[in-house]
Amino acid sequence: MKCFLSLLLFFITLQLLAQTTISGRVQARGGERLPGANIYLKGSFDGTSSDVDGQFSFKTQKTGSFTLMVEYLGYEPFVKEVLLNGSDINLVVELQETFNKLEAVTITAGTFEAGDKKRANTLNSLDMITTAGANGDVFGALQTLPGTTTVGESGRLFVKGGDSDESKTFIDGALVQTPYNATAPNTSTRGRFNPFMFKGTIFSTGGYSAEYGQALSSVLLLKTNDMPAEDQLDFSFLTIGAEAAGTKLWGSGAVTASVSYQNLEPYMRLVPQNYRWNHAPESTSAAISIRQKAGKSGMLKVYSNYDLGKLNINQLDLNQNKMLDYSLGNDNFYLNTSWITPLSDKDILTTSASFTSDVDQVAFDTTHLDKQLRGFHLKQVLAKELGDKNTLRIGAEWMNSFTEEKVRLSAETFRNSFNVNILSAFAEAEMYASNKFVVRFGSRIEYVDFLKRANFSPRFTAAYKLSDASQFSMAYGWFFQNPSDDYLFYTNKLDFERADHYVLTYQSLLKGRTLRAEVYYKDYRNLARQGTGEFYLPETYNSNGSGYASGFDLFIRDKKTIKNGDYWISYSYLDTQRDYRNYPEMTTPTFASKHNLAVVYKHWFGKIRSYVGVNYKYSSPRAYNNPNSVQFNGERTLAYQTLDISWSFLYRPNIIFYGAVNNLPGFKQEFGRRYANVPDDSGIYRSTSIIPGSGRFFLVACFITLTKKGDQNQIDKIQ
Amino acid sequence: MKTILFTIILTLLVVSGFSQSTEYYQAMGESLGKYASCKTADDFRALGNQFERIAQAENEQWLPLYYHANCNIIAAFIETDPVKKDAILDVAEKSMSRMLELVPEETEVHALQASFYTARLVVNPMERGQKYGMLSGQAVGKALSIDPTNPRARLIKLQNEMGTARFYGKDPAVYCDEARQLMADWDNFKPKSQLHPNWGKDQLAGMLQSCQ
Repeated sequence: MKCFLSLLLFFITLQLLAQTTISGRVQARGGERLPGANIYLKGSFDGTSSDVDGQFSFKTQKTGSFTLMVEYLGYEPFVKEVLLNGSDINLVVELQETFNKLEAVTITAGTFEAGDKKRANTLNSLDMITTAGANGDVFGALQTLPGTTTVGESGRLFVKGGDSDESKTFIDGALVQTPYNATAPNTSTRGRFNPFMFKGTIFSTGGYSAEYGQALSSVLLLKTNDMPAEDQLDFSFLTIGAEAAGTKLWGSGAVTASVSYQNLEPYMRLVPQNYRWNHAPESTSAAISIRQKAGKSGMLKVYSNYDLGKLNINQLDLNQNKMLDYSLGNDNFYLNTSWITPLSDKDILTTSASFTSDVDQVAFDTTHLDKQLRGFHLKQVLAKELGDKNTLRIGAEWMNSFTEEKVRLSAETFRNSFNVNILSAFAEAEMYASNKFVVRFGSRIEYVDFLKRANFSPRFTAAYKLSDASQFSMAYGWFFQNPSDDYLFYTNKLDFERADHYVLTYQSLLKGRTLRAEVYYKDYRNLARQGTGEFYLPETYNSNGSGYASGFDLFIRDKKTIKNGDYWISYSYLDTQRDYRNYPEMTTPTFASKHNLAVVYKHWFGKIRSYVGVNYKYSSPRAYNNPNSVQFNGERTLAYQTLDISWSFLYRPNIIFYGAVNNLPGFKQEFGRRYANVPDDSGIYRSTSIIPGSGRFFLVACFITLTKKGDQNQIDKIQ
Repeated sequence: MKTILFTIILTLLVVSGFSQSTEYYQAMGESLGKYASCKTADDFRALGNQFERIAQAENEQWLPLYYHANCNIIAAFIETDPVKKDAILDVAEKSMSRMLELVPEETEVHALQASFYTARLVVNPMERGQKYGMLSGQAVGKALSIDPTNPRARLIKLQNEMGTARFYGKDPAVYCDEARQLMADWDNFKPKSQLHPNWGKDQLAGMLQSCQ
């Protein structure tokens, strides 16, 4: 027995004496020392952290076989089996960086991304709202980015020498057929959507993914918000209208309903206008948005908007040389749904659909024009992760649109219409060779029944990271689009219009400073042209047009140098010519400015809880055509200049006051001249200058949010 | 003799069976003792590592996760580089979500969750103020709905409220009475064990100094 006890004692002592020291160094591949790594024996409390030089050392009483773990944020854990028997262990641990898509190189050629993700974006959602001059218009805010030209008489997006119908807008993957409000001719429009609806924006000005077709110049991808955080009521009061919205949550879903009414009548009474309005622009809209979670990461989103607009303006009719009333009624319905279904951890199926119905009723003198658009878009995309470095996306879509135009004259009625079905499929693979290098190549095929034609477009992009902060990115691709609706009323013998993009981008993101420089070349071919024959004859039209656009874009953003200040500067140089539509020769189109500059500055004044924004924009003169001159597009508009300011005052966490003035110094703005269709008796085409509705624009608003549970603070502040 | 032998073996078995648990109390106690000597962000992260080691060995205990998250939240507050702040909070976030799975109805965890959101907020108050301010308010509301007497939940609610008041140019002194009441109540709250969270009195004392 004694023998047994002493044996036992011996073993216990042995165990106590068998102390092993584990020491070494933690470093990254390439030798960089990693301080603060966690080194331990799995399943025990024994371990330590590495010091500033990556060195570590600790003692353990444990004996036998153990797993040594070394963990460090952003690196793959190091795992090693060790035998603890009293003899010291010394090792150099080399950790490998985790492959992390958020930190890896990203494709930036032609692309601006705005969102609330942690990843460094060039813009965030708030920027879309607080940019002076945009007054909460998504498209207005985008016009402070390089690659865009401000066309004052339109307000739409004109990107890198492309016409406005070459830019398409998508919400949650589904097409928006009528993204802009209906307006009178030669007056600026705004987007139909409230920027607060979106959590992210991707604005691609070239070389975009094969997922998107029917856009020669750019795609704007808007992602709507996910689940709202709590029940709330929002009220907005503006000098031009009011809006109320309510959000109600249930277990796994939420609904937001809103109504809004806008009427410029009172405003136009106060501020002198350049035109006489018989009925100031008035619009009533109602929207509903539903979110329903399905399973762990599935989500169904439904958004629907109904919009009723009306206006009547007195305009000079140059053909009859007298003032006439132009009245417009617009009736727009839009439904958008998207459904994300994870099929497994690696596969995600996204189905999106949209439906649009848009009716314009225009009356001008004795002419009535009824324009109708009905269309839908159905799309299904399967994203498949192959390993953690490769993603394959395949998808198919069906777009339909029915367009009808009825011209009612006093004596007779003309009716024209066409129906287009577009069937397409695409496949695209994104492959990371490492954190530093990624390629994406895809292709897309489309068949259009109306034209009885098909197209095939290859797309390719690659990006290479030079250092943690800077990278190069390039893109190449073919892009196709149906010819303008104006021509498809009369012919279906046209080919697709085509643009080939070549984009090279350098981007550097360094601690709150962004620099982007981009050069591009676009080769346009098969552009639709209108010959000299009668407009209603199919033979009048052909696809022999062509053109090019090349340029250089620069973007600088700096949130660092000025404390509480944040500014960006965009400059674009554009050289473009085209021979299309009714152009007799290759010439610079009317929507292109050679030089475009935007300077946006925002400053946060903590003491007075105010966010102040100033924005200056300049666009060099654009061409316009004077039929009295022999030279086509030979005239030049005034250079466009504006200086806008805005002020947001956070009165309470839930109450914001907002004031803004567009074109504060009252720069003279003129967008060329319009001319009569036929010369008068003396052989001269009469003309008048195109000017904005008023020299300046003022806006005052108040936004209120009411919540009932959760944050008690807010309730205190409401009283 | 056999009985004695049996007893010895049994005792040894019991001791070795308990040893992990004793070791746990020892390791936790020793680590908690180090809080006082931590000054820099690196100190707190190293202490966080120590709690993480305990957490991986005792994977059903929420307390080591709590202190691991807590150390990293403090480190994030001390750190000045916004990118690093977020990276440190990513580390804390892992423990936060693990804890919410383990003990979804624990007041202390929801109170800590509120500090976590506040730490995310201060990385960029202008852009994150609205979202994270609301999340922090909700987390502290949840904590107080489980246990309205929890002093740390009450403290964080007061800190949030005074911060908001200061921001909106109101006098935070209106919350001083509430702070004094909290100080008076502080010792009535008894942590469930020596290892349970018991911090906050010092911060409250500091807050009260500004009230005088």
